[in-house]
Amino acid sequence: MSWLAIALWGGAVGLDATAFAQVMVSRPLVAAPVMGLLLGRPLEGVAVGVLLELFALVILPIGAARYPEAGTAAVAATAGYIAASGGEQRPDMLLLAVVFALLWERVCGASVNALRRFNERLVASVDGRDPLEPRRLERVHLTAVALDFGRGALVTVVGAALVTAVLAAASAGPGIGDDVAVGMLCVAGAAMAGAALSLFDGWSGRRFAVVLGAICGLILLIVG
Amino acid sequence: MLWRSFSIQASWNYRTLIGHGYAYALLPVLRAIYRGDPERFADAVARHARLFNSHPYLAPMALGAVARMEAEGEDPVVVERFKTAVRGSLGTIGDRLVWAGWRPVCLLFSLALLMVGATWWLAVISFLVVYNVGHVGLRLWSYRLGWREGKRVGEQMRRSGIATVQRVLPVVGAFLVGMAVPLAVAGRHLSTASISVGQSLPAFWTVIAIVAAILGARFGARVRGPVILMLLGSSFFGLLVRLL
Repeated sequence: MSWLAIALWGGAVGLDATAFAQVMVSRPLVAAPVMGLLLGRPLEGVAVGVLLELFALVILPIGAARYPEAGTAAVAATAGYIAASGGEQRPDMLLLAVVFALLWERVCGASVNALRRFNERLVASVDGRDPLEPRRLERVHLTAVALDFGRGALVTVVGAALVTAVLAAASAGPGIGDDVAVGMLCVAGAAMAGAALSLFDGWSGRRFAVVLGAICGLILLIVG
Repeated sequence: MLWRSFSIQASWNYRTLIGHGYAYALLPVLRAIYRGDPERFADAVARHARLFNSHPYLAPMALGAVARMEAEGEDPVVVERFKTAVRGSLGTIGDRLVWAGWRPVCLLFSLALLMVGATWWLAVISFLVVYNVGHVGLRLWSYRLGWREGKRVGEQMRRSGIATVQRVLPVVGAFLVGMAVPLAVAGRHLSTASISVGQSLPAFWTVIAIVAAILGARFGARVRGPVILMLLGSSFFGLLVRLL
């Protein structure tokens, strides 16, 4: 496993989430498959990314809200799942990797808040001077960019190391079985897909569009 | 200035929110306006480094408008009043338009693509391209509008097509949710990654998945916690089985 690739991609994903660009490479749907691609196994990344994206859809980063950071956790979980699955698709390992990511994203989110607290001190060091030094303001701002990159890299690498250790320990011996794991992941995916409706005014406001979409989905299921 | 606006949230903090990022983005313009007068330059930077908030994609509108006002020598009190007036609406409009509209619609479209059998890279690239056409387009549009209209930008914004887009996006989003639910119930989100679902899976999982989708639609984001707990519980059970 290339820890450098994990750290660099984790840093970039952490940066994209808020601090720079926000072109959405930090979405699990993108971050996890790209991590998989960097490690030579994109499909494992897709498996992790799609599931985590369904969970991340309903999280809205509004105002000063504190929210879990899904991107870096998805990168960490993908790295761990690739290490544990040994080239095959392992639903039981996938379930564990996804659960780990859903817990780890809270730690990643807490690291964002910690950095924002630290930024307060950085910003105060500029504001406290009279007259304010514009060059210092620029330096502080760019330092905050670099710190966020470092934060993203750190939480991703630590998360990847932890999830790799957990999955390695769990892979020794029988578990809940692939069928149960697949069933649980199906149920979770369906619940979160349904939950996304709350973003668009819910069932009562969009009945017609939902039913029309469901008919199209069913047709695609039957045809495909 | 537009390029700098891409990092406007980098020094986000609980004291000035994106205030410092705003001043950082505005610096090249202020430097040009107050060339040869370092005191007024430092004073202008200090004024703009105070509390400010906005949706990051619409912040260029406030940047453009304030740059215009500063260039025209507007009274600092008026500039400050303008910033206070727009910061709430730029945040609310952007959150609703982008975070709760454009982004989930683009994501659901790409998820649906994946679930109907498109290759993963096509789904990922189509998401990035479609989403960022809207993203960069919004930044460019808002910057130009701000620069062109100056302090009258609010009036022009009300006349723009944003309200129409805000009405259309939820309909498209609800349609895509409706489409994604049966595909997810059938486990297509797993088969995108070559995990076989269907033949070996007892039918009761499908029934549970349908009930879960209905509960999800009924309770929205509130089901996230219970679903995570369900997955966590089953994982612990699995680990316990291994240990015993």
